[in-house]
Amino acid sequence: MTRDRGRRQLAMMLAPYLLGLTVLVLAPFAVTVVLAFTEYDLIRPPRWIGTDNFTALAEDPIFRTALVNSLLFAAVAVPLRLTIALSLALLLHRRSRFAGTARTAAVLPSAVPEIAYGLLWLWLLNPLYGPISQVLRAGGQNGLTVFGRTPPQWLTDPVDARAAIILMSLFTIGETFVILLAVRRSLPPDVYELAALEDATGWDVLRRITWPLMRPVLVLLLIRDAILSLQFSFLPALVVTDGGPPPYATTYIPLFSYRTAFEYLRYGYAAAATAVMLALTVAAVALQWRLLRRHEALRDR
Amino acid sequence: MTRLRRLATLALCTLLTATAGTACADHGDGGGDPSAPVRLLVFGAPEELAAYRTLADAYTRAHPDRTVQLVEAGDRKDLLARLSTSIAGGEPPELFLMNYRFYGQFAVKDAIEPLDDRITASDKIDPADYYPVAMNAFRWRGRQLCLPQNVSSLAVYYNRTLFEKYGVALPQPGWTWNDLLTTATAMTRDAAGGVIRGTESEGAAQRPAVHGVGIEPSIIRLAPFVWSNGGEIVDDPARPTRLTLDGPAAREALKNLVDLRLAYGVVPTDEEVESEDDESRFANGRLAMLLSSRRSTTTFRSITGFEWDVAPLPVYRQPAGILHSDAYCMTRGGRNKQAAWNFLEYAISADGQRIIAATGRTVPSHMAVANSPAFLGPAQPPRSAKVFLDAIPTVRALPTVSTWPEIEDVTSGILENALYRGDRLDDVIRQLDEQTRPLFARAEHPR
Repeated sequence: MTRDRGRRQLAMMLAPYLLGLTVLVLAPFAVTVVLAFTEYDLIRPPRWIGTDNFTALAEDPIFRTALVNSLLFAAVAVPLRLTIALSLALLLHRRSRFAGTARTAAVLPSAVPEIAYGLLWLWLLNPLYGPISQVLRAGGQNGLTVFGRTPPQWLTDPVDARAAIILMSLFTIGETFVILLAVRRSLPPDVYELAALEDATGWDVLRRITWPLMRPVLVLLLIRDAILSLQFSFLPALVVTDGGPPPYATTYIPLFSYRTAFEYLRYGYAAAATAVMLALTVAAVALQWRLLRRHEALRDR
Repeated sequence: MTRLRRLATLALCTLLTATAGTACADHGDGGGDPSAPVRLLVFGAPEELAAYRTLADAYTRAHPDRTVQLVEAGDRKDLLARLSTSIAGGEPPELFLMNYRFYGQFAVKDAIEPLDDRITASDKIDPADYYPVAMNAFRWRGRQLCLPQNVSSLAVYYNRTLFEKYGVALPQPGWTWNDLLTTATAMTRDAAGGVIRGTESEGAAQRPAVHGVGIEPSIIRLAPFVWSNGGEIVDDPARPTRLTLDGPAAREALKNLVDLRLAYGVVPTDEEVESEDDESRFANGRLAMLLSSRRSTTTFRSITGFEWDVAPLPVYRQPAGILHSDAYCMTRGGRNKQAAWNFLEYAISADGQRIIAATGRTVPSHMAVANSPAFLGPAQPPRSAKVFLDAIPTVRALPTVSTWPEIEDVTSGILENALYRGDRLDDVIRQLDEQTRPLFARAEHPR
């Protein structure tokens, strides 16, 4: 009787979340997957065309560029974001005079609305008048850096523009930082005291104690960031670089899908691109999971 | 197989209606309550939006029981996104303002209400009062889908004060491309006022304080020069299948355009454009000339530091201009069509066009208003407003195929690299052709 009541309470507590999950995530997901097999323009009824959209995507050079850009972004940004968040958490977990201020500074960029964050970076990265370029040019002559080199062309050079989008992503690690900070602070202090008695070096402590204890959470965050990274690039690319500089240097799959769906009215085609992105996300997560399981199995042996 | 597809479509419609929108629904007549607010979707600079607010306020003052609600989009792409999603969601605005280059994709999907019957029944609108080139640009398969509010052409805005300061001859009607180049070279100056070669600004040398001319690397800026040189930009203007910039006349016009940056350095670099767009650069007195349509006028009227005016486009072999025209279109799924038509009638009528013309935003599509003091009056710049009217007989429209927005986006990226990065002309022309052919192949045509 008590168990039934407990289950009912649990179901009631979960119901709002499950409802939201169904209406806002699962149903649109199902619709997107189905629409990927149709020709649909948002106005006329969809027409079933089988796998034609996927065939066309395979031959679409813009989609291929967007796909490579997205994978490159994930491959570089995710490890960097996680490393920075972990470093900050390890650096700031102790109570000290400036730790509170520093923690706030680390979290603050994540609290800025995305559009405002993008517009802020548009100003920061302004090639001539932006503070980043001004700082890089300080001490140099005729618009060059102090080393006589041209500063990064954030908005006009394809490689630098990709770097700018990654750079923007490195400051919105607040949530990851808070989780890692909480995890680090919850680790048993007696283990560290014991290590100190044993004269363990900082590197030993990190490798033998902190890393193994935090690894389960890090794995979770790695998977979560990999999933989010494929979507994270959307607003910076839309607001700051507009998908350019040409040819499509910062056009990622979400931006490709958005433009194809809502500016060119090819919703079915965009749904197919989104489905590919979802498939890639699942594949990336599965691969990470498998690699980590294998690593753990080897370790346990 | 057909049955299977029909069943699949039915299932999809059910799913979509339940989740995303009402794309499969019949929107019915949508006559609605004439006193309910009419939603008008527009985009533009703050000054342009202020002009539309002036028009909407004037309408409400003239008809106190009717209201118009402006739905303001951030830019053209945002407007397209808002329009498409609102139509899919079954709640489109009753009216939207759109350039003829972009309405084709909505026309082909039957999302725009044809206006022929309403025009015929109207005692306020006579199609003969309007410039035919603008009216025809909004005819789709024999039906008048939208009614144009303006009929601008490309013009050369110039900083008269700066020209007089440096003693350089003002642009004159009938001037040639070489004249433009000579003038732009003479107007590219350093901070001390000396003539400077802008190509040296790449890297080590000083940047020009004033650039000679600003021009956006796009097909709509290139087209009038190709036509003026006797070339064509597409193989068949009615049913285009490819771009024809490989022809000698088009190639020459393209080469001359990219040489403005690469050989002479009279246009700002991409870095400079990203730092400050051409319109702001002109308004801040750092650009001597700017090729733009009438829409820049509203912004430039806020300039107080110098005097500016407009001149016609330079000519190669024959005068040629490009049509810039926006029209009021009524959505098929709008709730309140009669109220929308009432406002549309007012906005397009002589009275409405006088109001919007006074704000500086439009070259009126209504011929009598265009030739009246409401547009030509010398109270506000540009002093030579007649330049816009003189260009109308020679303006041509771009193809209004359904995939034109994609074609413009693809070509602008390639042309940007040609102008700023110096991509080889043969590669540029080949890329333009290769990358747009599939888009033309997918296009549906207005005739």
